[in-house]
Amino acid sequence: MHIKSNELGIIMGGLTIIVPVKAAVPNVTAVRLDPVTHNLVREGVPLMLNPYDRNALEFALRLKDKYGGKVITMSMAPPSGKDFLESTIGMGADEAYLITDRAFAGADTLATSYTVARSIQRLFPDFDLIVFGEETTDSTTAHMPAQVASWLNLPYVYYAVEAEAKLEDEVIRVTRYLEDEGVYETYEYKMPIIISVYKNSNPPRDLSLVRKINARVNGLVKVIDNNMLKLERECIGLRGSPTIVAKIEDAKPIERKRQLFKGDPKEAARWLLDNLTKEGVIRP
Amino acid sequence: MSTAQAQQKICSEWNPVNKNEYKGIWVYVEYVNGVIKDGSLQLIGKARELASKINTDVTAIMVGNNLGDVVKEPIYYGADRVVYVDHPALSKYIPHVYANVIVQLANKYKPEIILFAATKRGRELAPYVANSLRTGITADCTELDVDPKTRDLDQVRPTYGGNILAHIRTPSRRPQLASVRPNVFPTPPRDTSRNGEIISETLDSIPSINGQGLVEERPVVKGEELPPVEKADIVVVAGRGVGGVDGVKLLTELARLLGGTIGGTKNVVDAGWLSADRQVGQTGKTIRPTLYIGIGVSGAIQHIFGMKESKIIVAINSDPNAPIFQYADYGVVGDYREVVKELIELLKSRKEP
Repeated sequence: MHIKSNELGIIMGGLTIIVPVKAAVPNVTAVRLDPVTHNLVREGVPLMLNPYDRNALEFALRLKDKYGGKVITMSMAPPSGKDFLESTIGMGADEAYLITDRAFAGADTLATSYTVARSIQRLFPDFDLIVFGEETTDSTTAHMPAQVASWLNLPYVYYAVEAEAKLEDEVIRVTRYLEDEGVYETYEYKMPIIISVYKNSNPPRDLSLVRKINARVNGLVKVIDNNMLKLERECIGLRGSPTIVAKIEDAKPIERKRQLFKGDPKEAARWLLDNLTKEGVIRP
Repeated sequence: MSTAQAQQKICSEWNPVNKNEYKGIWVYVEYVNGVIKDGSLQLIGKARELASKINTDVTAIMVGNNLGDVVKEPIYYGADRVVYVDHPALSKYIPHVYANVIVQLANKYKPEIILFAATKRGRELAPYVANSLRTGITADCTELDVDPKTRDLDQVRPTYGGNILAHIRTPSRRPQLASVRPNVFPTPPRDTSRNGEIISETLDSIPSINGQGLVEERPVVKGEELPPVEKADIVVVAGRGVGGVDGVKLLTELARLLGGTIGGTKNVVDAGWLSADRQVGQTGKTIRPTLYIGIGVSGAIQHIFGMKESKIIVAINSDPNAPIFQYADYGVVGDYREVVKELIELLKSRKEP
């Protein structure tokens, strides 16, 4: 928890915040799919930090700026994920962990959330908050925060825009924006809890290249494999994944009239309104 | 160990599943202030269709406090049964509490399929429920079907940028969970002559909140605003090509004159020219208005997925090769400012005879 005493008996304050991040594929339309499993082939694909995870990291760093403590990023990714984890240190994370092992490959969201949740329990048992981005730009499921909450049996809040902690009570107040209802809701829980940050809700701070280079030169990203985690084979990767991609097909567009008008704007406007009136979709 | 044995061994944190024990299709029905969300009603319609293919029934699940007559509504829209939990401890929506209630119900009744409308709350609840039942879930399906032989739910979802449709199945686990964005399916008609069973369910224990839970609700103060994109019959959508806030203002005037509303692409929202609740597309709202007018919209596939079910599609763009024209019924190639100004003039002159 947030108050710990060190070996000299000095109380150390602050929050321990874990920010799980994902290596997103920058250009999702140019990827290759495995012909057998239909899974995305990530090996050899240039990876970037999922843009919405930068909002999560900014959210966590602001809490650290205010209350002290540390921000730890982690990612289940192929070995090439080291680079974007160095970027998270460049943005201000204190530590970064790459969770990588061939045994994790082919995971759906259930197996991924299991790996993330159990890794956090084993590596950082004293965490106060886990802060996620709302979703990833390449798969857009928004599953991970709720699924990790389920594995860890913790309260969780999506679409968070700000948070305030009361360290002495181990309490966190999270305000979220519920877009459907046009309402801000504030939840108050005992820590630890899981927070998912509303996308684009804050401007993420700039990356310090000096910090990033320092992270690379000094090998600050720690690499963890399943020999260390010892997660059960049946619970991870393809074997821990109940969903299968049974088939893939090209998306077919609906047949459209595809009538085109080029020319004088006045005539174009008249042509358009005449047709829409004929279609009965605007009032005559 | 033989291969067959190896395949049968499951994660020790999963419960063994006998698929034959799981029957029926559930829809989690979300409501606010006594009104059921359109997305939930639409899923009742879809569930009805799926149920007839595998000869089973449709159950609506409702959770809350002082539900009153709203529990009858799912029957009118096609449900055979409503199972609801009404308890003072559920008077406020708490994500993990509501999710755990649904999990307890699912463990008791063992449905084979559970569908969630992918509203903001639905997206928050569904993955927790799926995970707690140690089963799979597919987000934002655009089509659902069911295999009469295996009773597997065929969950179709655009993936990797939207140019590929993936058919996802959960062959070895039950229940099978999927979420669907509002307005992907039509709302079934309300028929008050339909009858069904209404069951009030009590739980052994309501999960604890672990804190105060929801302590404050603050509605956003809105001025005189156009309706939300998912509610309007006519939607004018601004793309990056409108150039900035001034362009969006011009389009808003057009939308107002047409009696419609204004929306935008992801680019326009990310640039801050429009609020996020007006974003149309795969990561925004799915709309199916009678008239869609895309202006300065190039037609990225992620956007197309949010509007392709519109009845009539109009595109105005200066680039004759913009992909949006492939999806449009009527296209105008030209400077959008000039065309929109002419449209505004014409509409005004129609109104003032």
